Amino acid sequence: MPDVSGTKRITDVGPHDYHDFLHPVIKNNYGKWKYHEILSTAHMVHVSETGDKIYSVRVGSPRLVSGSFIKDLCDLADKYSEGYLRFTTRNNVEFLLDKEDNIEPLMNDIKKLNLPLGGIGNVVANIVHTQGWIHCHTAASDASGVTKSLMDDLYEYYIDAKLPAKVRIAFACCLNMCGAVHCSDIAVLGIHRRPPKLLSDKIINLCEIPSTIASCPTNAIRPDTYNGKPSVKLIEEACVFCGNCFTVCPGMPISDPLNDGVSIWVGGKVSNARTKPSFSKLAVSYLENDPPRWPKVVEAVKTILDAYKNGAEKGERVGEWIERIGWPKFFKITGFKFTKYHIDDFRLGEATMNYSAQVRQ
Amino acid sequence: MTDETKAQLEEAIVNLIREFVNRKRFKPGDVVKEMEVKFSASDVTKDDVKSAIRELTDSGRLIYGYAGGSFLSLPE
Amino acid sequence: MGKKYETPLLDELKKGKWPSFVAEMERAAETSEMTGDLLGQVEQSYKEKMGHWKHGGMVGVKGYGSGIVGRFSDLPEKYPGVKEFHTVRINQPSGFFYKSDSLRKIVDIGEKHASSLFNFHGSTGDIQILGVKTSELETIFQQLVSFGFDLGGSGSALRTPSCCVGMARCEFANYDAMHICYNITQAFQDEMHRPIFNYKFKFKFSGCGNDCTASIARADMSIIGTWKDNIRIDQGMVKEYAKKMNLHKYVTSKCPTKCMNYSDTGLEIDDSNCSKCMHCINVMPKALRPGIKGGATILLGSKAPMVSGPRLSMVLVPFYDVAEDAKNGYQWFKDFVGKIWEFWDEYGVNRERIGELIQRVGIGNFLEAIGLEPLPEMVSSPRGNPFVLYEDYVEADEGQGESPQG
Ligand code: HEM
Ligand code: HEM
Ligand code: HEM
Ligand code: SF4
Ligand code: SF4
Ligand code: SF4
Ligand code: SF4
Repeated sequence: MPDVSGTKRITDVGPHDYHDFLHPVIKNNYGKWKYHEILSTAHMVHVSETGDKIYSVRVGSPRLVSGSFIKDLCDLADKYSEGYLRFTTRNNVEFLLDKEDNIEPLMNDIKKLNLPLGGIGNVVANIVHTQGWIHCHTAASDASGVTKSLMDDLYEYYIDAKLPAKVRIAFACCLNMCGAVHCSDIAVLGIHRRPPKLLSDKIINLCEIPSTIASCPTNAIRPDTYNGKPSVKLIEEACVFCGNCFTVCPGMPISDPLNDGVSIWVGGKVSNARTKPSFSKLAVSYLENDPPRWPKVVEAVKTILDAYKNGAEKGERVGEWIERIGWPKFFKITGFKFTKYHIDDFRLGEATMNYSAQVRQ
Repeated sequence: MTDETKAQLEEAIVNLIREFVNRKRFKPGDVVKEMEVKFSASDVTKDDVKSAIRELTDSGRLIYGYAGGSFLSLPE
Repeated sequence: MGKKYETPLLDELKKGKWPSFVAEMERAAETSEMTGDLLGQVEQSYKEKMGHWKHGGMVGVKGYGSGIVGRFSDLPEKYPGVKEFHTVRINQPSGFFYKSDSLRKIVDIGEKHASSLFNFHGSTGDIQILGVKTSELETIFQQLVSFGFDLGGSGSALRTPSCCVGMARCEFANYDAMHICYNITQAFQDEMHRPIFNYKFKFKFSGCGNDCTASIARADMSIIGTWKDNIRIDQGMVKEYAKKMNLHKYVTSKCPTKCMNYSDTGLEIDDSNCSKCMHCINVMPKALRPGIKGGATILLGSKAPMVSGPRLSMVLVPFYDVAEDAKNGYQWFKDFVGKIWEFWDEYGVNRERIGELIQRVGIGNFLEAIGLEPLPEMVSSPRGNPFVLYEDYVEADEGQGESPQG
């Protein structure tokens, strides 16, 4: 580490003040926006009480990008939007324009870069996803590869609004779910299926035993001794394969190429519109990892999307559609097998049973 | 808190980490709790311990580590 | 720079219409040798179906316990360029707004001192520079600070707060999400950079119930916009919408509280029964707007499945007058958060999120400790289960006839 003693080291300046990055039209109309109009899946206009307008042009990005990619965006922003741009929480890029005449040439330049224009309205939104094998230690599957394979196949749904409502897909490569997967219309979740290995030599030297024991949500990890030193043993039947122990103790690796894979969850949402926010529910309990293109995962997501597109009423989110037709019909239409894994037997899970004689026959 | 108590406090924190090196990982919160007890006679507050930790880490006498949670450690 | 490894599996992911992260990695490899090795290691992961990263370690800039995530390859001999491949988290500006000159500066740093790979943005909200060696950390940090950017949160600390685009470009915003987000991030720099919590803590600010930051699912404290007065109706525009669609089918019948009625005399809303769900406003943005007495509902406790299963946030404060508190530098909010953190500090254990702690000690006890009255807005219904932990009772010789309050 460079020696910085003697000089006063500056710290804690905090995030850059956003006021420096606001387009003048946005600054002048802050808090005064009256309505917006979606002009295409790739652009919309916001109209202010003052009559001012700001156009947003939306472009998809793969999230993991090179410096050159960002510089390409900067060039476009300099050319068409006085250097102003923003990102969305779902990794899209938005150019903010006050001149309507700039929209078409900007879009043409974006097409020249082979970037997708879309993502607004009743589309498959850009997939939010995590790091995977590119950058994380607990990943049960790769994030970028599955996401890329899905978006290649669902491309038409990103650039055209062909669905009854917005479909938000998310991918998380382990139960840590860095990506808010659990409340998505369709969630793909990396899972381990085999209890961690116990590398006792590592455990006694690298791991703090009490916190390793405490890390387990099901108390599957119990105290033990190994070569006379404190260690742990594992009640394998109680393990739910969360990988939490490995995060705390490197002596308990859980990755296993033969058994790792993904599960698919459906019908969650975070918005409060109409129905309350809800978790995604298990649709497919296991699909093996099949790099580089995970064809079975893509097929399963396509199956859900097609069934939804054919069955849902306008404005209905995936979860609302399934609630209306019922889960038995969902499994029938999609052909997914309903198994004992679909029944929640974790803590308080009994709340998901049907305590009524209301059954769609 | 007097300068003397402050020096003792910082010394005690470093000693605690050193004593348990490779045996127990102390979160900053654990250190605060330990020191509150140890210095209960000399009206050392939570914030005093926190600012002592800050001085120790700013000066590099202690560093932060991460293993499923943040903890304090001696520099390698 | 030529290609260092054959990557037939990854090459498959350069095909197709969606922009390819593999192509991006190859572009980055043109300016960074490290990234060449990353391609090699990821190809091996694709072949073997497993990752090759080790976790943890003592990686950071002096004085901070946060903002750098240490990452090491478990195949350092084979891929020396990724032996150390840390992530630098940079606190994004509110609303993810940028000007090109600042972005170029950040890119320059990543190209000169790291792998030339970035995440715009990570799930928590930070910009991430990937592939940084320990020896480069201090230089990167000092350069960032020199043009007004700082590191974000990681570890057992306050994580980088984030917010939706709010009043900057959304007519639905009921409070200034970008401003409060910036203000409290500045106020809590210490809690972000010097981890002292039991585990992570996240704030997310959304301007309305559409919750574009997904705060209800992934923030320990979710601040979601709402309003107290009436939905503003432009009856003329309502009629325009009625010409194009069946208002009964798509708007009024979908209102969760059935508080809307559309007839020849126009649209009527019983605002006292409206739960501010945003549905009708979403469908007819030109005709309906939230009221003008905006504020926020504060909810607490959502988290990922670790350790005791996933949770959504639940209502704590039904209406928080954000604009009023802003006049005071958000002091009420900061004090309120302070009380919650104190409770967590006092009673929580290592790696226990606030939501899990509340589950463990009971919501009633938690409310009492932070000084909040129980309110019917906090529950979807009162309890159905009769196992009530009544806390006191009277003996025959005391409090005659008076019923004790439990
Ligand atoms: C003990 C080690 C680790 C644990 C327990 C851990 C846990 C997590 C968790 C829970 C998240 C999601 C939540 C959040 O950060 O806000 C996360 C995200 C992340 N982790 Fe780790 N992690 C560990 C090590 C690492 C390492 C070594 C790296 C990289 C070299 C890394 C890189 C990341 C990145 C980049 C994200 C953000 C993902 C995203 O934004 O999509 N983590 N980690
Ligand atoms: C209209 C209201 C209620 C009805 C009709 C009712 C009826 C019953 C009946 C028939 C039993 C079975 C007794 C037996 O066969 O031994 C029972 C048991 C029980 N009830 Fe209720 N109950 C009512 C309300 C409550 C309330 C309000 C509580 C608690 C505050 C309660 C707590 C219990 C408990 C704890 C038992 C189990 C007792 C035992 O088996 O040891 N009940 N109740
Ligand atoms: C642990 C608590 C309770 C137990 C064990 C219990 C048990 C029972 C049992 C065994 C019956 C008789 C059912 C039958 O044979 O027809 C019953 C009926 C009933 N209980 Fe409970 N009960 C409990 C709590 C309650 C509570 C809290 C309420 C109301 C607040 C309640 C309201 C009733 C009513 C209204 C009936 C009559 C239902 C009917 O006949 O339609 N019970 N309960
Ligand atoms: S979801 Fe799990 S494996 Fe994926 S980046 Fe997050 S912590 Fe790592
Ligand atoms: S993987 Fe999870 S459930 Fe299994 S032993 Fe480890 S911590 Fe416990
Ligand atoms: S959360 Fe509401 S206010 Fe914020 S951007 Fe989304 S719709 Fe607009
Ligand atoms: S906001 Fe929701 S609850 Fe309120 S009137 Fe509109 S649809 Fe009904």
